[in-house]
Amino acid sequence: MLFFVLIGVVPFCAAFIYALLYSFGMVGVLNTGFTLAFWKSVFASGEVLGSFGYSAVVAAISVLLSVSIAMWVALKFTRELNKRFLSFIIYLPLAIPGIVAAFFTFQLFSKAGFFSRIAYSFGWITKVRFFPDLVNDQLSIGIMLTFITVVMPFFVLLFLNVYKNERVEELSKLAFSLGANSSQVTWKVTIPIILRKTWTLIALYFIFLLGAYEVPLILGQESPQMLSVLIIRELNQYDLSKISEGYVVAVIYTIVVSLAAIALFSRKKMTLNEI
Amino acid sequence: MNSIKLCLQLAFIGLLWSSCVNESTVPETDILHDSWSEIEKKAEGSTVAFMMWQGSPVLNEYINNYLVPTLKEKYDIRLEISGGQGPEIVKLVMGEKQANVDDGQVDMVWINGETFFQLRKIDGLWGPFVEKLPSSEYVNFDNKFISVDFQQPIEYMEAPWGMGQFALVYDTARTAVPPRNLTELETYIKANPGSFTISNDFSGMTLLKVFMAELGGSPGSLDGPFDQVKYDKLSKQLWDFINSNKRYFWKKGTNFPKEHTKMDQMFATGELGLIYGFSEGGVESKVEQGLYPKSTRAYVWDNGTVLNSNFLGIPYNSGNKAGAMVAINFMMSPEGQYNRKVISGRESRTILDMDLLPEEWKQKFENVPKRKYSPDQEVMAQKAIQEPAPEYMINLFEDFRTEVIEK
Repeated sequence: MLFFVLIGVVPFCAAFIYALLYSFGMVGVLNTGFTLAFWKSVFASGEVLGSFGYSAVVAAISVLLSVSIAMWVALKFTRELNKRFLSFIIYLPLAIPGIVAAFFTFQLFSKAGFFSRIAYSFGWITKVRFFPDLVNDQLSIGIMLTFITVVMPFFVLLFLNVYKNERVEELSKLAFSLGANSSQVTWKVTIPIILRKTWTLIALYFIFLLGAYEVPLILGQESPQMLSVLIIRELNQYDLSKISEGYVVAVIYTIVVSLAAIALFSRKKMTLNEI
Repeated sequence: MNSIKLCLQLAFIGLLWSSCVNESTVPETDILHDSWSEIEKKAEGSTVAFMMWQGSPVLNEYINNYLVPTLKEKYDIRLEISGGQGPEIVKLVMGEKQANVDDGQVDMVWINGETFFQLRKIDGLWGPFVEKLPSSEYVNFDNKFISVDFQQPIEYMEAPWGMGQFALVYDTARTAVPPRNLTELETYIKANPGSFTISNDFSGMTLLKVFMAELGGSPGSLDGPFDQVKYDKLSKQLWDFINSNKRYFWKKGTNFPKEHTKMDQMFATGELGLIYGFSEGGVESKVEQGLYPKSTRAYVWDNGTVLNSNFLGIPYNSGNKAGAMVAINFMMSPEGQYNRKVISGRESRTILDMDLLPEEWKQKFENVPKRKYSPDQEVMAQKAIQEPAPEYMINLFEDFRTEVIEK
């Protein structure tokens, strides 16, 4: 326990306190002392709020689509997925780091990418610029596409496992024998059981995507930017006197995510107690 | 049992703590008073940690296959390269300053005016050392493109290593006549929508400075210390120009590339038709590598483009200042500069003054093959403008985001 505190909690707290002090101008070579100026200017610009909202929407849509597709795949192909070859295929994306996945997406979907070239050689487009905007685009299609490709297989595996462990198949048969039709079984039995068992992980994945860095860095746009990209930009900026603003954003982000995580796990305890 | 565990853990923390606190303090001798041969003797057998931008394959070739072995052979200095540019260098030095590290990780850094300005602001550089270097006699410090870095006098705190001029790049096979001023640019992008953009980095901001100088009416219109009134007036015109035309930009001006390397790729694939960059746009090496077609050409703006030098500096807490000085001296010497020109391609411009060089070196420099895809240095130099004060860049960065990207 003590070791866990030393390895996990102490460095985290130290870093957080350092960021907090930096954000109030109390440490840092160019800072002169306690000031609220950085907090004020961050809140005044509204950029952080926009970035928060934008990151949350991108993460939420990605998680929602991943979970829905994974659920459909897991329930539709339960038998097939237990075969060795298919399960190998589904494990494959899990081994691909985010940054590589982002590059794949870029290579495939950019205006000079693979699909654009195919479209050109078939004569569907006459100029590169007529290919639809799929990376670095306003709608963040590239980012979400990559998130889904990376995250979806994980959920398929997770759902398959829960399906087996919770004996959903037997429960479905029971429901059938009691007179339920197949859509009732799916919507009232299977999906609720699986989601109840996995919603913490789904929420954690949402937080994970909220703070993702490489994928939005490569496939994102200049404005609005996702949180991590924004924070790093603020920390690396040319105007050294404004580096503290980056720490302000980092502090806000840490607080929000920590609160979310605490809320998540305290509720989990409650549900465990209820059971 | 538990108490033993606790003791062990506490001891472990103690060990960690003491290893952090016990920084070896090197006695600070003032080597600026030593003679050059004494400095060379001190440098012998030492290791110099050099932090540099490693993004240019031809320059890496020069560093790894020429500079490292030559320094080892001539001076018994081991040159250790680590990757990092502008912000990373500043962050490293800032961090070490905050932590009171006396023996810094890095002995030598490759910087330009931006980073020089930042490092001076935090007192991160050691010096003045450049006068001490024997190679300085071949450098003309009256040349304002060398002695003034982003309108700041270098005051011998950084040593010039290379020079580059900003240039625009186009493909003659696709564009017959490239634009040479803002009016022509407007016509060009209207005729070729989507083929031009401004990268949200150093190169893009330099282009904006070039545009601003044109709006100011003359190549020298941004010279001198930062002038807020002038900046406000010219930048407003600049944003008006960009915002009224950005629907003809790449992605209809809704997004801008993060860095110029992305633009280079898009030029190679044909997505963009007009790009720009330092070192004459890097066209010589990129055509040679096969990235750009042979019909690619670099050219300068009618009102001129920015010419600036890049420099080598020694961080304030370097543990091997003697070694860094010897290495820098060699990199500035006729031998080091000549081989850089030969190995790293025609676009590298020497910082040495031909009139100050001994006859044999002068001849050698004159016999280096001429450029193929960009105008001659002399022709370009007639259209060179000085780097404006760093505050212009800092303000442009901020305002480009708020006035253009976020609108």
